[in-house]
Amino acid sequence: MFIFTKMTQIPVKINNKNPRLASYILSQYGGPDGELGASLRYLSQRFAQTEKSGIALLTDIGTEELGHLEMIGSIVTQLTKGEGAKSFDRYGVGDYYIDHANGVYPASASGVPFSAAYLQSKADPIADIMEDMAAEQKARATYDNILRMCDDPDVTNIIRYLREREVVHFQRFGELLDMLQSKIK
Amino acid sequence: MENNRQISAQQLMQKVSEAAFYVTDLKLYLDTHPDDARALRMFGEASRNAKACFDAFEKRYYPLFATSADCDSDWEWLVGTWPSQKMA
Repeated sequence: MFIFTKMTQIPVKINNKNPRLASYILSQYGGPDGELGASLRYLSQRFAQTEKSGIALLTDIGTEELGHLEMIGSIVTQLTKGEGAKSFDRYGVGDYYIDHANGVYPASASGVPFSAAYLQSKADPIADIMEDMAAEQKARATYDNILRMCDDPDVTNIIRYLREREVVHFQRFGELLDMLQSKIK
Repeated sequence: MENNRQISAQQLMQKVSEAAFYVTDLKLYLDTHPDDARALRMFGEASRNAKACFDAFEKRYYPLFATSADCDSDWEWLVGTWPSQKMA
């Protein structure tokens, strides 16, 4: 089971408003390489893991990604809090406002709604972990793209932190893959 | 006074999140290195420290876990800064 804690992994405190930046960052909420896909991928795949280490790692990283989903939603909320239709339009994201106003909706930066087709679950521990390592790299690359677009230090600090976590997860998945492969040999 | 209290809530939350993060990161490491004696010792210490930080924050400010919420007269769980809100 999951127990909610009334805090984020690092505090989210964004002072400036920027609906356009929010719409870019939303891709890590419901986009193809975002935190929702990551958490669902790991939390679903863990049921087919055979080793305790695999069950534990997918559970723990999947749980951490759910926390990151909450952080991304918090950044989007704070970047758009109190901004109205005209502001969204000036920032070039009037189309988002028409569909969702200030709501946080799981979609990509280009407006495609979240899809479970972003992830797989093959009941094959090696195939799943290989996918997970690629997923961490794609998430890292997306955070790099966000950092190229972002000039708000409050946001940049959090995005850098989340990017670093993807690197750590990639490392841990690689260790798990080695462990699974050595068991086969 | 209110302002001072808020500033130190933020500072204490910084300590809480650092302590909780240390536990999270060590936990992932131990998942793939379950026999690492040094990491096991570090986890024990990190875990005790995180519990102490949670307790200190909850005692002074507001509940982080629903099980810590005071329910004697009103529903204390509603009190505090939720993740989507900016800590003042």
